[in-house]
Amino acid sequence: MPIKSYLAYPVRGQREALVAALRGLGGCEVVVAANRDLLVVVTDTPDEATEDALQEALARLPAIESLALVAGISEGEARYEST
Amino acid sequence: MNRRDVLKSMAAGAAIGAAEAMFPGVFFVPAGGLSTAAAQTPAADGGLAWKKTPCRFCGVGCGLLVGISNGRAVAVKGDPASPVNRGLCCVKGYHSVMALYGKDRLTRALVRKDGKLVPVPMKEALDLVASKMAETIKTHGKDAVAMYGSGQWTIPDGYVASKFMKGGIGTNNLEGNARLCMASAVTGFMTSFGLDEPMGCYEDIDHADTFVLWGNNMAEMHPVLFSRLLERRLKNPDVKIIDLATRWTRTSMAADRSILFKPQTDLAIANAICHEIIRNDWVHTGFVRDHVSFHEGKTSIGYGLEDKFAFKDEPKTITLERYRELLADYSVEKVEALSGVPARELRYLASLYADPRRKVMSLWCMGFNQHTRGTWINNLVYNIHLLVGKIATPGNSPFSLTGQPSACGTVREVGTLTHRLPHGDVTDEKARKLAAEIWSVPVERIPAKPTYHTVEMFRAVDRGDIRFLWIQVTNPMVTMPKLRRYRDGLKKDDRFIVVSDVYPTPTTDVADVVLPAAMWIEREGMFGNSERRTQHFDRMLTPPGEAMSDTWQIIEVARRMGFEKLFPWSEATHIPEIWKEYSRFQHGPDHEMAPYEELKKRPGVMWPFVNGKETKWRYNGQYDPAAKGAFDFYGKPDHRAWIWFRPYEAPPEVPDAQYPFWLNTGRVLEHWHTGSMTRRVPILHQAVPAAYVELHPDDARRLGIGNGQRVRLVTRRGALVLPAQIDGRARPPEGQVFVPFFDEGLLINELTLDAYCPISGQPDYKKCAVKVERA
Amino acid sequence: MDRSRYFLIGLGVLLMAALVVVVGLSLTAGERPARVLPVQAAPTPTLPTEAGMYARVDAAAEYAAMPKEPNRKRTRAVYYARRAYPGAPPVIPHAIDEGDAGGRLCLACHGDGGWAPRFEAYAPVTPHPELISCRQCHVPQSPSPNPLPRGERVFTTLAPGGGEGRVRGSVSDWQTVTPPPLRGAAMPGSPPPIPHALQMRENCRACHAGPAAVDEFRTSHPERVTCRQCHALAAPPAEAFARPAEGGR
Repeated sequence: MPIKSYLAYPVRGQREALVAALRGLGGCEVVVAANRDLLVVVTDTPDEATEDALQEALARLPAIESLALVAGISEGEARYEST
Repeated sequence: MNRRDVLKSMAAGAAIGAAEAMFPGVFFVPAGGLSTAAAQTPAADGGLAWKKTPCRFCGVGCGLLVGISNGRAVAVKGDPASPVNRGLCCVKGYHSVMALYGKDRLTRALVRKDGKLVPVPMKEALDLVASKMAETIKTHGKDAVAMYGSGQWTIPDGYVASKFMKGGIGTNNLEGNARLCMASAVTGFMTSFGLDEPMGCYEDIDHADTFVLWGNNMAEMHPVLFSRLLERRLKNPDVKIIDLATRWTRTSMAADRSILFKPQTDLAIANAICHEIIRNDWVHTGFVRDHVSFHEGKTSIGYGLEDKFAFKDEPKTITLERYRELLADYSVEKVEALSGVPARELRYLASLYADPRRKVMSLWCMGFNQHTRGTWINNLVYNIHLLVGKIATPGNSPFSLTGQPSACGTVREVGTLTHRLPHGDVTDEKARKLAAEIWSVPVERIPAKPTYHTVEMFRAVDRGDIRFLWIQVTNPMVTMPKLRRYRDGLKKDDRFIVVSDVYPTPTTDVADVVLPAAMWIEREGMFGNSERRTQHFDRMLTPPGEAMSDTWQIIEVARRMGFEKLFPWSEATHIPEIWKEYSRFQHGPDHEMAPYEELKKRPGVMWPFVNGKETKWRYNGQYDPAAKGAFDFYGKPDHRAWIWFRPYEAPPEVPDAQYPFWLNTGRVLEHWHTGSMTRRVPILHQAVPAAYVELHPDDARRLGIGNGQRVRLVTRRGALVLPAQIDGRARPPEGQVFVPFFDEGLLINELTLDAYCPISGQPDYKKCAVKVERA
Repeated sequence: MDRSRYFLIGLGVLLMAALVVVVGLSLTAGERPARVLPVQAAPTPTLPTEAGMYARVDAAAEYAAMPKEPNRKRTRAVYYARRAYPGAPPVIPHAIDEGDAGGRLCLACHGDGGWAPRFEAYAPVTPHPELISCRQCHVPQSPSPNPLPRGERVFTTLAPGGGEGRVRGSVSDWQTVTPPPLRGAAMPGSPPPIPHALQMRENCRACHAGPAAVDEFRTSHPERVTCRQCHALAAPPAEAFARPAEGGR
């Protein structure tokens, strides 16, 4: 399934709660901005069903103000010079 | 890292880039919540938390900084703040943290049921260990249980083991594998000075201009210290490095002069140097008159080959004249014939030691210690330094290098040996009273008689005098000499063997219970290195599965056996509490230990630590607050250093017509001991994947053996087939072969002999007779 | 009459002598150094992080003059493949002569670099040539090109319980950080910060200049020798600079 990255804006004052909630979901990695209320979320799921479940869970999070998709990378596209 | 991780970091990078475009100046912290790193302009330190620890491996005790990210150790740097290694490591140190992550790491307790090891909950295994130990004591007595620990035990591990066995159960059946590596160095110190551990320190390297390496391959075995020698020579062309060895190694290649001698003749060579010093009137008469006394002991003292071999020396005080007479047989001409070292070279060595403009540092390790006259040869090298007064001052330093990271800190200083307590010997009533007071136990419980040193302890298991043995942090089923007897012994019925380790090994293969151990930085602890430097490390990682620190395993079992009062501490604070209690044993200007807070802050602190200062040079009034006057060897009742006359005596088994070669064993740089950790580090395994036998090219040609071809080695105790290595990283002389012991698939110790130094109990892994033929 | 003649001759001789003396004096005075030689200064102390900055500075002009062709052999991927983690000592990827533990033999190629015909590649240059016990940290890998006994690529244990036969046991679960990414400049065109620690890598030119440099790392301007004038160490960010608020804090 494609790897996706988002910018996540927490509801005012709920950044820590959002970080905790996101970490509780499977398949999410969180990078926190140190000087702004802003998170980078990277998702990686093994199949379509899990991806859909994750999307639903993200939509339902109360601490999220908004979620902006930035990049989606699927296996076939990226090139990396392997060793 | 794999492909998917790379794609994820690309995606993250894209999102971060978008954020930067929208919010200039924003910066990010990786998911681990580390507050000191930025993810898009990666910090020069990689965005990792770097924490200090001593290296897991050898007795140099390099300071490392381990990079931690997301609960894993991911990188290593040398700690530039450590005075030991100043930011440099060796290949093992740089890859040490990889040893934590082998996939077959022991994470669950195992109990042998119907011949197979099956996983059980840790609690159940600990219950079983405690009940079996109690049952054995009830049926066969206190001395039927034993514990065998290690110079890789942390200081708290050794301390609770000592308190448990000697203060709780009341037996002296406590030994450590440092018996197999440093015991002769210890008895050397005790007989020559009355106190253990070197009087100098690594800083001697910065002052000395002559380094004599006796029988130790320092370039591979203490590589970072050897680099300090090389650096000293690079900056000062007067510096000389002399390699005295039985085989030509990397150290020989780097040395200014390489001198080969026949095995065991180091005894004669040291005496020849003393003879030459006296003959040429090079003795520092003032120093000898004021600070030295002369002694001799028994000769023809045996080799410990029989069970229950016992030896008691008979020391006699003698005069310098008598000492000179005893040395008459050790003229350089006579020793040339015996040792194969030309008289000219012996004279050269003597002149180096005697030259008043030179500061001489002698360095040795297993060549001296794993020796059937190990105590004697340690005495003899001190004799040389004492005759010329080159001792206990910066640069003049007979320095006994330690092999393991905490043989000094734990086995020697805490005293996890049959005859020792954390301070003093069990035979000394004052020492027992001190222990009884600090441990709050009745003094009668601490037994006054030593029982067995390591070889005798394993013989006792074989005979059935010991029925329960708990082994921690060591692999005796690879390292015991004459291995077959001891392996068969441990496998006998009615022997209950408990093994605490991190990976499956040939020792866990014979265990009845296997306890998974937390490894190194997965628990808080301290190590003590060769130069009396105690180094603290925090718990940085979570141990996997149910793995538990050796300290806590002992405490759990002890509590189950009714000794809660001896181990009242909580898991959160037990390490600093243990350190505080242990420090009470070492009060006094001759051994004071640093407080816990100092150890946490600094990259190691040397003892004695007196009034906030480390004593770098002991016995020297200028540096040592415990010394009165210019020099004060306060370990001995006469406040003098003791010169012992010790003769040359041949080893118990020498090459003959049937077994015409010497068999020598040892290590290689890339592998630590039995390889249970380093062979699970791919880069180290790939560097030296299997054991081999080193042969001289002329011997190989004569026997029709080519490089890489199979060779059969046969001794009176066993046989082994190995591939040959000719002119690899080292070359033995003709008539000698060398085999490294890191390979559990090629158990060279099945061939070695369990002869030992009668004074120290340390076996000789370097000399026995072997037949070599093409396989 | 004679008297005045002798007087004149005597005066002449005196003047000649004076001439000789004056000329001679002024000639020798001209040969003396015109300045006072300075007193021998104390040796310059070595600052650890600055130590390597100007090492190999002579090579800078050569590198600048070289045509800008990519090496193609030494790529970033290959570079990191030789290291267990970013910053680890790289393995030795080629056959070596066992007769030396390091020092002169390794430095013959890796001391100053150069074209190695045997490998058809430029030899990478060590940033720390003063450490001569090379094999202390750099090890070759198996199957080794040397005639050493070949072991298995992956360590396997004997069957558990001590039975016969080898069981595929421990493969490593080692994971590490991703190497620092290439772009890191604060603004387009800014000099990128140094994303790695300087410990043992103080000499920038060893890895970032010359034909042996990794293509992706090679500097476009090797003739500028004071690297740290523009490239700062990417330190962990301190709190952004802010003046204390009015009324102080």
